[in-house]
Order: sequence, then structure tokens, then C-alpha cells
Amino acid sequence: MSKEKDVRILAYESSCDETSTAVIKNGREIESLIVATQIKSHQRFGGVVPEVASRHHIEVISQITKEALAEAKVTWNDLDAIAVTSGPGLVGALLIGVSAAKAASMATGLPLIGVDHIMGHIMAAQLKDEIAYPALALQVSGGHTEIVLLKDPVHFEIIGDTRDDAAGEAYDKIGRVLGVNYPAGKTIDAWAHQGKDTFHFPRAMMEEDNYDFSFSGLKSAFINTCHHADQIHEKLDKYDLAASFQAAVVDVLADKTIRAIKEYQPKTFIMGGGVAANQGLRERMSAEIAKLPDAVKPKVILPELKLCGDNAAMIGAAAYNLYRDGQFSDLTLNADPSMELPYADSMLN
Amino acid sequence: MKILSVSTATNHLSVAINEGSKVLVEANEEDQRNHSEHLDPLIDQLLKQTQLKLADIDRFAVAIGPGSYTGLRIGITTIKMFASILNKECAGVSTLAALAANVAAKDKLVVSLIDARNDNFFAGAYLNGENVIADGHYAFDRLLAAIKQVEADRKLPLVFVGSGLDKIKDRLDQSKLDYEFGQADQNQPHAGEIGRLAEHIEPVDPDQLLPRYLRRTQAEVDWHKKTGQPYGPDSAYVEEV
Ligand SMILES: [Zn+2]
Repeated sequence: MSKEKDVRILAYESSCDETSTAVIKNGREIESLIVATQIKSHQRFGGVVPEVASRHHIEVISQITKEALAEAKVTWNDLDAIAVTSGPGLVGALLIGVSAAKAASMATGLPLIGVDHIMGHIMAAQLKDEIAYPALALQVSGGHTEIVLLKDPVHFEIIGDTRDDAAGEAYDKIGRVLGVNYPAGKTIDAWAHQGKDTFHFPRAMMEEDNYDFSFSGLKSAFINTCHHADQIHEKLDKYDLAASFQAAVVDVLADKTIRAIKEYQPKTFIMGGGVAANQGLRERMSAEIAKLPDAVKPKVILPELKLCGDNAAMIGAAAYNLYRDGQFSDLTLNADPSMELPYADSMLN
Repeated sequence: MKILSVSTATNHLSVAINEGSKVLVEANEEDQRNHSEHLDPLIDQLLKQTQLKLADIDRFAVAIGPGSYTGLRIGITTIKMFASILNKECAGVSTLAALAANVAAKDKLVVSLIDARNDNFFAGAYLNGENVIADGHYAFDRLLAAIKQVEADRKLPLVFVGSGLDKIKDRLDQSKLDYEFGQADQNQPHAGEIGRLAEHIEPVDPDQLLPRYLRRTQAEVDWHKKTGQPYGPDSAYVEEV
């Protein structure tokens, strides 16, 4: 049997504050990955300013395209497709990647593949290890907190979602109260490891018979605790505050995810998104899954830390699966800021 | 020299292919709010009409600003990627110069306007192609004062082209200036004119082809006011990790 031809995809990601390009071989191998981050710029404002983000994306997009090809030591002739995040995200930011990818597709004649950003985050796992299906993913980031069922490499369904704030968003908001600069997740995670859960913040929706989340109540309880202490001139321990907040977040995420694993019995469990880099969450999920009986214990893939944040490698990985499935886009591809994976039927009732 | 030009600076989408200063083909879509969906298919259509390939184009040109920030970036990203990938020249043309080029008559002072709301305009004045009131972001009163100053010396017939004209009519009537407004077709940038202008300007490195916003973002202005820190070059804020 002849060896199948390698498939090389150049991928773009520009949905928020990172402009990234990558060349991915066969959906598994990173031949190059360039990430230009704008964090320094948005730190001036305490959060991502969409117009500023768009302005930075266009400054680097053609340059990092060349760098991705050079680092992978390939030319346009070695590529098989061009992929790009088409949503969700900031519309003006998405449009830089989408416009660049479409222009590249026109200039080279290579097929174009629009990729869902969330599908990309989840597929960061594919860059680490082979995924056995069905798989179940906990996708946690600044914009999303979802439990996703992967029936196969291209059919994903949301089975649980946040009703209000995303987990990562809650981290940034309480980070502001603690005087931690955006993005706050990493610092809060580090502080949490030095403190104890002494405040016992509420665990919203833990008892409810669904896989949905809510973090706005936790965020409010945290802020009220801090404001009240301020008013009576009491100094609270920031490490204990961080530990208490993180314990509440992790408890809810772990509890619901383990219940979903028991119900759906996936062959692989995946974590994706910026908050998947959170050490507290990684440790807890691994520990909880280790406790499961062997018959329902899925293989666990936690993506590389550097691939938890936004990057084009994950988009290239997801695009490969779409390529194999024959899902291509045409020149009318547009940015879709509120793009969503489909919801499972059970959630629509 | 074959030039492919686009304008996505306003709600009007324009694409043209020129051979030297001759416009081979130009297509325009009025009141088009979805440039991302329409630009590439329109380019594709004009290439087919002229039986050309992108690789046959010698120079790529684009309205570089001022204009809708998001709109500008769609056209500029597209053009810079074409030029970068195909190793061709690229050039950015002032949107206001392109508007002024819609008025063919000589020795008229052409004031190009793009309505920026709250009585502000992106504006510039052109005399026989020369930018005599610099492209900028003006409160209308300030622009009118600059126009009166030019007119005091030269007493040229005045033509206003672009958007937001109805908002300034009363004040122009009161000003006693001798003026006229552009005809409908003169009030939107045309890619064919962008191509003509682009023929005579120095091409730039595609990586350096960036929008001329003529305005900082409100977030940066507020930050600067609050902290007193200098804005610094944009490159200082983006780092490869
Ligand atoms: Zn993301």
C-alpha cells in the first residue's frame, strides 16, 4: 500500500489579541508556529480594546506569514490548504485573518478552510496525542466555558455552557479587584497555590441536573467580600482569596465534567482554552479522572501549556480534519463574531 | 503596467483594473456594508472579464485612508497579501486624493470630505492633484477657516465631494463662498482613479502598507491623558513569543 501524501496547512488565527500563523503537517505536527502577542498594548487599558487589537493585527500579518513559511522551510508550492479562524471573536480582529487567508487563497489557488475557534482550541490536543472518539472536551477560556462532545473529528456538540460569565472572564474581573493586571489567570493560579479556601464562596448550579455553569454569582460574592472588608478597614489575605475563588471555580468545573464523563463514557477527555493552562484545574481534573473505575476511565489529553492560549497551530490541526472531511470555504467567507458550535438536542428542549 | 486597485474605505466598494492610466474595467457596489463577503468575488469577476490572472498584475493599489477603520483594513490586508505573496509592487493612495480625482476640471479647489460624525470630518483640499489643505481629522469650523484662508489668496472655484455634504450646506451658504457639490458619482472613491494615482507614486514594501487612520483610538487618547506617557511606536507593543 502506498503511503498517503502528507497534507500541509498554513493556518491563521487573529480572533482576539494574538496574531498567529503556523504550518501544520497532517494535523499533528507543528512545522512552524509564530505568535505575535499584543498583551503589552492592552495592558495599558486593563483589557483588550477591539480597535487597538485590529490595528496591531494588520501591522504584522504579512510579515508573520513569511516567517511561518520560512520557519517550516516550505514554499507556497508545498502547501495543500490555507485555514483561518472565522469566528467566534472580535469581528474587526477576525477580519484581518479572514482577509489575509482569502487573499492568500486567491493568490496561490490553494483551497480555503474556515475554522471555528473553539473547535481549534479543543484540537490543540491533537497536536499532543491521538484522540480516540467519542471524546469529551472541557473548553474554558476568557470567552467560553463549555462541555463539548466530539462524536468524530468534525462533529462537535455542546452539552453544557455558561449561562453568564465565562470562567476566564471571572478570573480577569476578580483580578482587577485584587489589583492584578489583565490577563489575571496565571497570577491568581499561582496565588491560589499559596493560600487556602477559607471564604467558601458559592458553587453555583452544582446540584442542578444539567451541564451548565454560572460564574457571575461567584464573581459578585467575591467582589462583595472585598468591598465589605474595605469598608471596615479589614485586610484580607490575597492568597486565601485567590485560593477560595479558584476552589469554587474548579469544584464546579470538575463536578460537572466528571458527571458528563460518567454519562457519555468518552474514550478521550480533553481540556482546551486559556484556562486549560490553569495548574489547579489540570491537577484536579487529572486526579478526579484517576479515581474513576477503569471501565469508564478515558485517556486524558491536556494540551501543551503554550498551546492553551490562542494560536494558529490549533487552527491548523482542526483544519486538517475538515480538509479530510472535504469541508472547504469559498471567497465569500466572512468573519462571524458570534459563531457557535451546534448544541446537543438535549440542550434545545 | 497593469494595476489592480480597490477601495473599501467607505460603504461603497470599488474595484478596477488599469493598463497604465487607462481604466480597463471598474466595478462598483453602492451602499455595501459587507466588504469582506463581496471584495474577493468582485476581484475574481473582474479578472475573469479581462482574462487576467492575479499573477499578471504588476502593481496592487488601495485606498489607504482615511475612512471606515474596519473597511480600510479589509482592502489593505487583501492588497498587501497579494503583493507580498506574488512579489509584486503595492501602493497606498489617500482616500481623499482619490475623491478629489473624481473632479476632472483644472484650477478648482476640491475639498474631499468623509463624515466622521459630531460635526467632524476627515478632510483634505486638492488643487490640480496637490494636497493644499493637509489630509486630517477636522472639526468643520476649523476646516472652513482653512478653506477661507486658501480662498482669500486664490479665489478659486470650490467643489465639495464626499459624504456629509447636506450637513454643511447651510454654513457654506452663509459663508458667501462660491461653491458647488460634487455629482452623485463624484462623491464616492473610484478604484479606477486610485489606479491612475497609484501609477505615479513610489511603491512601498507590502509589510509597510498600513492604514492611514488619521486618528488615534479613544482608548489610547484617554490613556495618554490619564498617564501622561508618550504613545510610543506601535511596534513597541507587539512581540513575538
Ligand atoms: Zn481563544
